[in-house]
Amino acid sequence: MNLRQSFKMALKSIWGKKARSVLTMLGIIIGVAAVVIMVSIVQGSNKQMQEYYESMGTNKIEVYAYQWNGKDVSDELYDYCLGLSDLVMGVTPQGYYWAQNGIKYGTTTTNNMEYGSPQVYLGSDQYAVCNNFTLEKGRDISYLDVQNYNQVIVLGARVAEYLFPYRDPIGETVNIDGHKFEVIGVYAAKDPDSAWSMDNMAVVPYSLNRLLNKSVTFDSFIVKAVSKEATTKAITMLDSFLSALIDSNNGYYSVYSQNEWMESDQSYTDMLSLVVGGIAGISLLVGGIGIMNIMLVTVTERTREIGIRMAIGASRASIILQFLIEAAVICAVGGILGLAVSVLGTLVAGKLIMDMVLTPGVGMTIGAVGFSVVLGIVFGLYPAIKASSMQPVEALRAD
Amino acid sequence: MKLIELKDVYKIYNEGMENEVRALDGVSLSIDRGEFVAVVGASGSGKSTLMNILGCLDIPTYGEYYLDGEDVSELSNRELAKIRNKDVGFVFQGYNLITELKAIENVELPLIYQGISGSKRYDMAMEALERVAMGDRADHRPAEMSGGQQQRVAIARAIATKAPIIMADEPTGALDSRTGAHVLEILHGLHEEGTTIILITHDSKIASTAERIVKISDGKIIMDCPREEASAL
Repeated sequence: MNLRQSFKMALKSIWGKKARSVLTMLGIIIGVAAVVIMVSIVQGSNKQMQEYYESMGTNKIEVYAYQWNGKDVSDELYDYCLGLSDLVMGVTPQGYYWAQNGIKYGTTTTNNMEYGSPQVYLGSDQYAVCNNFTLEKGRDISYLDVQNYNQVIVLGARVAEYLFPYRDPIGETVNIDGHKFEVIGVYAAKDPDSAWSMDNMAVVPYSLNRLLNKSVTFDSFIVKAVSKEATTKAITMLDSFLSALIDSNNGYYSVYSQNEWMESDQSYTDMLSLVVGGIAGISLLVGGIGIMNIMLVTVTERTREIGIRMAIGASRASIILQFLIEAAVICAVGGILGLAVSVLGTLVAGKLIMDMVLTPGVGMTIGAVGFSVVLGIVFGLYPAIKASSMQPVEALRAD
Repeated sequence: MKLIELKDVYKIYNEGMENEVRALDGVSLSIDRGEFVAVVGASGSGKSTLMNILGCLDIPTYGEYYLDGEDVSELSNRELAKIRNKDVGFVFQGYNLITELKAIENVELPLIYQGISGSKRYDMAMEALERVAMGDRADHRPAEMSGGQQQRVAIARAIATKAPIIMADEPTGALDSRTGAHVLEILHGLHEEGTTIILITHDSKIASTAERIVKISDGKIIMDCPREEASAL
């Protein structure tokens, strides 16, 4: 007997008992749907997190160093960072200025913005590269702006939108606590949907630290490495450089990158997927036991049929095959239906929980259906063997 | 060489215990190719057990069974299944059709297990159905047919593989005398074409249509002779 025939027979017998088959499948449908939806949600939220990190920029190293005995290490550190040239795409000091009166244009002040006034950063011409900003219009801060203490400013999208809703900001002058800055550029929005947007910012040349903060010291630098490997290497080098530079009795330093956070987030998510998937998997297991139960009932019910089949020449192998295929087909159909349910469920859950279009991953999809087929075979095996091990004459005697 | 040869065969249930049952108690029997043998006996005499062993549905507790010269007790499950499929066709008292399948599908079943597929299988099954005049009922399910019709389908199933031996266990037991006679007629027709027929029955009238009558009682053969001699007794 060939496989095609066995499949036909299995389908016929499943179709012959529709209500029972559907109820049996229900266990698998619910199990598969539970696993796929749960894992999709976890993975979806992880994806959202990863996207957030991506927009902040990957391979970004934040370096912090401070000496409280008055010794200024910022120049040495900056030079060292710039000296990592093969490993890095950009280096910038990261300074802040707290604008008491916000950024003002005419009578409009950013202090009235709904989610607070923007952060004003002090950065180099490589600020945008380091922080993953791209220019929407105008020009970026240049090396000469830094050298010449030019009072220029590049606005983040949210700020530009707030101060200049109807006009081109380029060439306009804004006022920060009495200092005039010419708007030379606007960054493209990269985080338009969140309230505490990364676009709620502005950058001025870091040399203006002297003007705004009355200081020439920078504690904090951002190094953008060229790759993941370069990030690791640069971190190691910076660590050893700073451990030599900073006297730990009189200072403090730290070097870290988002990559580490991303990785730990990722491994956390992987673990969460496993746990959540495992819990949902229990329902799949229960579904599998349901299959075994119903197949056992079927074997008992069909003992006579098995006897007849044996009497007219069915071998043990073909009886086993018939019952196995039947269980596997029930599971496969259940798995596919469960998948349909879970695609729907994932879309709905994604919309409700995370407000995003969420679909189950391809690997998981194939895995879930494959797993349910394996489940069918595993749980169908015992009933199938039981069916085939009867003596034909005994099986024929059953009613 | 004899087609069927049983040598001192026993079938014992619960051997050595108080409720020991000797369904077959030292049976020796040989049947030639092309014979029409009736095995008669009261219920419980062991005649069905005899048929089950002859048809490889059951295995003897002791004794030797040669089918076409081959020692059946040496065969594996798989080889026994093959014998049931190719060499023996069964006709049971209760028809034993699979109720979910149409007449034609029931008849095709042994051919499926033989690995014959497609139109060849359909043709062979159809030929068998027509042989028992059930060609026009091919698409009916067992529940849609009378007992006699079901038994004819069962015979069609038994002959579909062109098995050289037909074993019929009370084939007319559930039928009225007229349809029963028709079924017997079909069996005789098959016999005339050369098929070996072994007919199990408790009804001596039906047995008397066979060439040779074997009478069994308490698991032992108590008479084995041609019809003419039997009727003289």
